[in-house]
Amino acid sequence: MQPNLAPVAEADVSPLLVARGITKTFDRTRALQGADFELREGEVHGLLGANGAGKSTLSKVISGHYTLDSGDLSYRGHEIRLRSTRDALRIGIAIVMQETSLVPDLTVLENIFLPELGRPGRLDYNQFRKRGQEILNDLGQGDSLPFDWEVRRLSSAQKQLVEIAKALGVRAKLLIFDEPTASLSPGEAERLFDIMARLRDTGHGLVFVSHRLEEVFAITDRVTVLREGRTVMNARETASLSQADLIRAMVGAELGAIYERKEAHIQQIDAPVALEVRNLSSTPAVRDVSFSVRKGEILGIGGLVGAGRSETVEAIFGLRPRTGGEVVLNGKSLRGDSPQTSIRAGLGFVAEDRRTQNIVPDLSVKENLLLAHLGAHRGFFCSYASRERKVKELLAGLGMPEDRLMDASMLNFSGGMQQKIIIARWLLLEPKVLILDEPTKGVDIGTRASIYTMLRDIAAQGVALVVVSSDFEELLGLSDRVVVMSDGRTTADLPSAMLDEESLTLLAAPRTSMVRNTEMLNELARAHDGAGFWGLIEGDRLICLNAVASNPALDPGFKAGEARELAATRIPEALRRREPVFVAEPDGERTTLVVPMTSPRGHDLGWVGLSLPTDRPLPAPETIKSRIDTMAATL
Amino acid sequence: MVQETLSRQAPASPIKKIAQRLEVRMLLLALLIAVCLSLLSPYFLTKSNIFNLLDQSVVIGIVAVGMTFVILTGGIDLSVGSVAGLTGIILGLSLQHVPIVPAIGIAVAAGGFIGLISGTLITVFGLAPFVVTLGVMAIGRSLAYIFSGQTAISNIPDGMQAIVYTNVLGIPSNVLFLIVLYLAAWAYLTYTKGGRTIYAVGSNKEAARAAGLNTTFYSILPYVLSGAFAAVAITFSISQLLSADPLMGNGMELDAIAAVVIGGASLFGGRGSMFGTLIGVLIMVMIRNGLNLMGVSPFWQGTAIGTIIILALLVERLVSSRVSR
Repeated sequence: MQPNLAPVAEADVSPLLVARGITKTFDRTRALQGADFELREGEVHGLLGANGAGKSTLSKVISGHYTLDSGDLSYRGHEIRLRSTRDALRIGIAIVMQETSLVPDLTVLENIFLPELGRPGRLDYNQFRKRGQEILNDLGQGDSLPFDWEVRRLSSAQKQLVEIAKALGVRAKLLIFDEPTASLSPGEAERLFDIMARLRDTGHGLVFVSHRLEEVFAITDRVTVLREGRTVMNARETASLSQADLIRAMVGAELGAIYERKEAHIQQIDAPVALEVRNLSSTPAVRDVSFSVRKGEILGIGGLVGAGRSETVEAIFGLRPRTGGEVVLNGKSLRGDSPQTSIRAGLGFVAEDRRTQNIVPDLSVKENLLLAHLGAHRGFFCSYASRERKVKELLAGLGMPEDRLMDASMLNFSGGMQQKIIIARWLLLEPKVLILDEPTKGVDIGTRASIYTMLRDIAAQGVALVVVSSDFEELLGLSDRVVVMSDGRTTADLPSAMLDEESLTLLAAPRTSMVRNTEMLNELARAHDGAGFWGLIEGDRLICLNAVASNPALDPGFKAGEARELAATRIPEALRRREPVFVAEPDGERTTLVVPMTSPRGHDLGWVGLSLPTDRPLPAPETIKSRIDTMAATL
Repeated sequence: MVQETLSRQAPASPIKKIAQRLEVRMLLLALLIAVCLSLLSPYFLTKSNIFNLLDQSVVIGIVAVGMTFVILTGGIDLSVGSVAGLTGIILGLSLQHVPIVPAIGIAVAAGGFIGLISGTLITVFGLAPFVVTLGVMAIGRSLAYIFSGQTAISNIPDGMQAIVYTNVLGIPSNVLFLIVLYLAAWAYLTYTKGGRTIYAVGSNKEAARAAGLNTTFYSILPYVLSGAFAAVAITFSISQLLSADPLMGNGMELDAIAAVVIGGASLFGGRGSMFGTLIGVLIMVMIRNGLNLMGVSPFWQGTAIGTIIILALLVERLVSSRVSR
């Protein structure tokens, strides 16, 4: 046994899987350099780490996607060597990924029993249907999947359920959930946790890969933390840990100040607007997006996977046809019919995927650096010499010796250096606005800090930055202001100092949960001729997630996506007291009930309020409260 | 941190760098073949045979220029042979009505126009290059037969011979044209925005577009050039034979593709050079010529050339996987 294992509470629990000293290298990146992991039957084991720590790589080694370079894997006490996912599935190891292993054009039933399609003999659909129903019943999700629908018609949560059922269809004993909540609303995530709890209770071993700490505390029994490919915290009981312990293990003490920023930057910037986007649409992914960014400001765009963030910036830049709206760059309308016109107008764009969208592998480092120059340049020849001085200046800034410029391929550099060269490609053109989509994707945590510093320096020189990121921590740490998107629409535009990861998660919730909430608020408001809202309250500030007013006179003084000081609203008294009774405002115009909304698992979902006129009999607060609780259960 | 990231791979030594270049390895192969052939046939290295070799390289060499451009963008042009046949007939017919220079202009423009159609179908409508040019190949050959009335056009004016049988500084004009064409194509691919865009398009079209390069124009242009060069090549052929046959250019696409591939270009695009293609052309022509000199049946030529192509690529794959890892 390993010396650094936590004391085992029950000695009779045998490990389902033990991984020791796993290493895995891709090209020149060492993704895993000696990772240890141990999973028991009947537990949910959190596998944590910052982006790039190697948690996905380790999951994929266990599930047979990658073969390990060195190290030992043993499953139920036997040494195993996995050459493919098929090997892993055969012995009962399955991974639940983000929609990737489903065939969109086949039905739900066919997808669940996809592994059976590869066997010889006739397919017995009736048998499938019966077994499929049994699996769903065991998960407590008896009627939530239409077996005859094509998978493409399902929501992300339903697709995930198909993946889980598929794993159980081959009687998997060990299930890996790789960032399963990334595209789920809070309510859907709770339902997933219920399913996971059931699987645990029936003796399955579950690996839960995440970087959202609250979820880790909500669902896991033990936690293993990876950092830079090594296990830095091995199988500790979750109950014995604090958030601070986990963060320290994930980030490493010396990197605590990774998002350190200058105080001056938090203040409101009064610089002129550099880029303004009005009601932009590019169907189907982008429906109604509006925001603006000032010179020298860093604007973050956040949202769940599939919210339309990348599509939005692509439509701004001209990589995706627009279907409506307007983009104004430095006071001039930007047509956005091709990247070239956008670049010449002073816009730069670092696309999300470095390998497929940014790097030209057959051109030298120098030509990659000068690629956007070539795109912007008018003329027959390359005119590389005209940028020579600026290239030298940028290289000095990057700390890259000049002779490396002639390197034949950019792929020999680390992910962080590649990203810096791509950013420098745009700086060379001295853009007025630079858009970066996931600027630290696949960059190890040590180099991230230097990319953040680089971005802050660029902003300090007066360039307006728009940063798209799925990493809420990065979004909050880096940007001055955050615009939240959900289902192709901007749902909030708030200073990042007012937000935390939880409020961002709620703001980014998919529109479906918002529709249900709006329905309820509408019903409440209409039934009593009042106004309803849903919001988060932190200190003396309210962030409004949703607001409807059936009676315009009762408008609470804020709209969805806005933040207000409690005193600046029209219902300060009720918001301050938050008692389970209607609270009349001093001006006597209205009386308001503000009650907390919690999910069935006791998760805080903010506050719901209902304002009514004072001149009428009031309904019982309990009936309103129970309606809200019912709604919270379906969110 | 920066130092550490940079030192992950030491810069290669100059000798290794040169050996890493595929064209260099292919040049060595070409020299090896030349040495072997000169040992097997004393006539191989005579002055007249060397001029003969160069003369035989002209037609295939010109077609290979357009093919290099197309393959650099990651495409393929199977239609060059039948476009050559069709434009040859167009040239033969035009010569019945107009003087030589405008007639050649008409033929070259027709070749370019056919390329424009292929390129547009491929780039704008997103059709597969293989399929589009396969279709154009069938259409081109069929039209060549129809336009010619199924017979060779033999009343070509003698003035056409001047295109081939003029010596400039002791070099035949067709060979000189080939040399100038390769130099110009090399300079274009190396030093101009368009040339670099063609490489970028073949290497990563999405990244090229995101950097503002005009990927649509430079994806179509190679097909236009390929069609036009097919017409230029057949012009040299006709001026030597003084006859335009609808069968002309048959199988030319395979020779051109083989030359480009032997020259080190990647069929996925982004990699290749004019120098490599030139060596590829010379290797093909040398093997043909050598086998002829040794009196081997011409039916063996296909086997020899096919074997060389496959062997060259096999060795290349084995070597490059060792050099770059």
